[in-house]
Amino acid sequence: MNCETCQLKELVVEPLEIRDVLRCILHTIVFHRALGLVRPKDVDCELFDITYVQCGDAELERKIDEKINLFIGWVEKHPNKKSQVCLSFYEVRNKQATWMFSNKTERLYWEQWYINLHVVNTKTHGKSHNSKAPINPGDNALEESSSRRASLESALREVLFQIIKFVNEKKDHIPSVTNSEVISFPYEITTPSSSDSSFGWHTDVLKRMLQTGHPSMLS
Amino acid sequence: MASSPCNSYSEPPIIEQVITEFFAKSLHIILESRSPYASSRNHSVDHFISSPSSSSSSSSSRPRDKWFNLALRDCPAALENFDLWRKSILEPLVIDVLLVHRSSASNATRLSPGGCLLRNFSGKDRFPMSPRMEELETKSDKTIERWVIQYESRKESCFGREVYSGSRKSTAASSHSSEIPTLYKKTYKRTIVMLRSLYVFVKLLPAYKIFQELNSSGRICPLSLSHRITPFVEPFTRAEDAEMNQFSFVPIDTPCGRLSLTVSYLPALEDKSSEPSTPLSTQFIMDYVGGPTTDPLKMFQSVRSAGPLPHFVSITRQHSWSNDHGFMRSGSPSPSPTYSDSQAMHCDPNVRFPPHHLHDQSPSASSVLHNASVAHKKNTSCEDYLSSSPFSPMSSPSAPTPNAFLRSESAPVNIPSPRRGRNSGLLNQALPPSSPKPQRPGCSPRTDTLRAQITTPSASQTCSPEGKLRTKKEPLRSGDFETVISLAKLQALSFGKDEVGSLPGLKCSSPHIPFSTSSSRLSLLDEFDDSEFACPFADDEDITESCNRVKLSEGKDQINENSESRGLVPVQRSPDAAVGALVQMLKTAPPLRQDLSKSVRSSQVFRGDFWNPRLQHNECMEAEVERSESPASNSGITASGLFKPRTTADALEELRIYKEMKEWLLKKGGSKSLGDSHKDKPACGGGGLEEKS
Repeated sequence: MNCETCQLKELVVEPLEIRDVLRCILHTIVFHRALGLVRPKDVDCELFDITYVQCGDAELERKIDEKINLFIGWVEKHPNKKSQVCLSFYEVRNKQATWMFSNKTERLYWEQWYINLHVVNTKTHGKSHNSKAPINPGDNALEESSSRRASLESALREVLFQIIKFVNEKKDHIPSVTNSEVISFPYEITTPSSSDSSFGWHTDVLKRMLQTGHPSMLS
Repeated sequence: MASSPCNSYSEPPIIEQVITEFFAKSLHIILESRSPYASSRNHSVDHFISSPSSSSSSSSSRPRDKWFNLALRDCPAALENFDLWRKSILEPLVIDVLLVHRSSASNATRLSPGGCLLRNFSGKDRFPMSPRMEELETKSDKTIERWVIQYESRKESCFGREVYSGSRKSTAASSHSSEIPTLYKKTYKRTIVMLRSLYVFVKLLPAYKIFQELNSSGRICPLSLSHRITPFVEPFTRAEDAEMNQFSFVPIDTPCGRLSLTVSYLPALEDKSSEPSTPLSTQFIMDYVGGPTTDPLKMFQSVRSAGPLPHFVSITRQHSWSNDHGFMRSGSPSPSPTYSDSQAMHCDPNVRFPPHHLHDQSPSASSVLHNASVAHKKNTSCEDYLSSSPFSPMSSPSAPTPNAFLRSESAPVNIPSPRRGRNSGLLNQALPPSSPKPQRPGCSPRTDTLRAQITTPSASQTCSPEGKLRTKKEPLRSGDFETVISLAKLQALSFGKDEVGSLPGLKCSSPHIPFSTSSSRLSLLDEFDDSEFACPFADDEDITESCNRVKLSEGKDQINENSESRGLVPVQRSPDAAVGALVQMLKTAPPLRQDLSKSVRSSQVFRGDFWNPRLQHNECMEAEVERSESPASNSGITASGLFKPRTTADALEELRIYKEMKEWLLKKGGSKSLGDSHKDKPACGGGGLEEKS
């Protein structure tokens, strides 16, 4: 079974919009992969005119919010940067211990979603645009903000369509449901590490590689 | 397992059931998000309380909810339609979502004998529409979405052929049967995912926004959402087709067929989701409270008919308003309590006087009025207003009194002054600018002196020497000072003669009033301090008694009249003038003279103790003192005025006496040098003391 990867369209967001955007995307993805008995909960975005669906699982909500907070914390330390939030679904398999230092269980990632975000601070970013028009900076800022918000909403909607398309196109790689939990498959949300922006990210990738086996080994 | 031909239901029963339930679940998902009234009525949030473990709630879920592991809210529309449709799964399930206006029927769903649902808003109805429906048919209905759920069986199913071939039936069937669970699981899993996508997708389309608005508003709107379910697909017109966007879910392959789900939708709805309720048109409210067309104006009109408002009020209030006076033409009949109270407080001293006396001004007061014409007018108008009813016509022509009144009504009334009492207003206004010069020529020095103290010639007031002397003893309170000043002014005006103590025009000099230096009451104060006006500072009984005596005296009305007339004048004085006059009065306060007289006596006695020859002079001094006191005792009015001259004269006299004594001593100094020297020491000391004094 191959690991299906989906690179979602990049979204240009403001720090205040990160939470809403990530909640919308993450919950939508997980809802598609929650094959257990689900009572969907319709949630309206706070900043956008978009209604997304949650599984209704409190633990899921807690984990997602926790990861979002970590990401926001990282963004605060690394403003105006492109970053990714990765949602991965994996299987846990017992790995035969070939040597004593190996982990007994391994994660087999069968699907990864990369949420690409470009966090932009409009205060620092907008000044350069408004420097030439200081007559009505407030009005221009409002117009730009509203237009930017509308474009972001449209882009977010496209991202959701993208998820739906991907989910519908790729179904064979989904492993069998072995439990009756709401979230049928274990998942992992990875955010950029705060220790080292670039190296930390790579550390997570390496860690994942060590945990997972070769894709050819998976059947 | 018996096989069935592929052209018929070749699917295994379980697969067929999955397909059937797939249709139902799809219909349920679509109508749940497109049928506002039906879903809102049956929407129960409690049923979907998120729980940490869904397994606990699975037992409580309904059997239909378990299909595809998706528990949905109740949707009667979907359930009813599905029950009628469930008979055939080979026919597609077409769900048109319509945007309907109010004039049209809310529900266009009709049933056909075949169990298929008919369209109600199309010319291709299989069944003739009732006239009622024809009437309801409007062009405003528009298909904004079309969902097509279809199961396509394979005519030639590879699986079916292999399974149901003659020679391989047994082996195919066995393999089929063994693979059914796998196929079922695959199919079932895929349908689960597809329905998940459908559930998310229906909420991303524009029609969901209308659905939300209709659900949240909860009121009858001209726009509404309707649906129609048909077993066939009516093609769109070219225009409609051009407007529509299509989205197709990835079909799910079944052993004998394929499940497909497609949607055609309008990407943008043309303001059809706007609130149908007519917004409030902006309009100017002309008759707002407090405006020119409301009651406050009418109020002023009535007041105008009743009479103009106090002039001084308008003057005082004019600065608080920048508007013109013209628009204020009416006013409320009843003034505000604060306003009336302020006026009452301001003109309180004059309110007590009968209205008919307001305009009666004595000749003596005419000059006073001439000096303070503006204030007088103000006060007059105020008095007129207060004396008469608020609606009574005013005699004096007034200017923009309605405006003033309105101003006071529409704006916070600024109370001009706190309550000071009967005499306060009187005194304050009666006090003119301080002027040491007497203003009435021809008066006696004493009267002139008195007038010097009294900076403003006020109306004559009754005063008695004893009242003056009274004030010397006790410390004058502020109210007393003001009263004293006013009384002094009034007295000065009444002084047409050099006599002190007799006040023409006022016959309040009651013999009952004892004249004594120990008295600390000012007769002027007594004369004025009657019950008709109050002195907030003079709470002494003596004042009251003197007031009563004044009342008992002759010409009570005259007194009142004079008091009124005089009272008008004091009202005109300013506080600064009152202060100046007070200072003057303090300087000439009788107690000082009395103390000095005592000190003089003591000094004289002192000298007497050490210098016998001076006893004669002491007697002389005492005699002088007595003489000086006698005129004061006789005329308490002029006591303060004569204090200075007598003091100076007395001092000069003493000096002369000492000089004589010194000469006499020097003459005798040669014979009795030693004794004289001893005697001179006290004299020198007394002289030193004398010099210092």
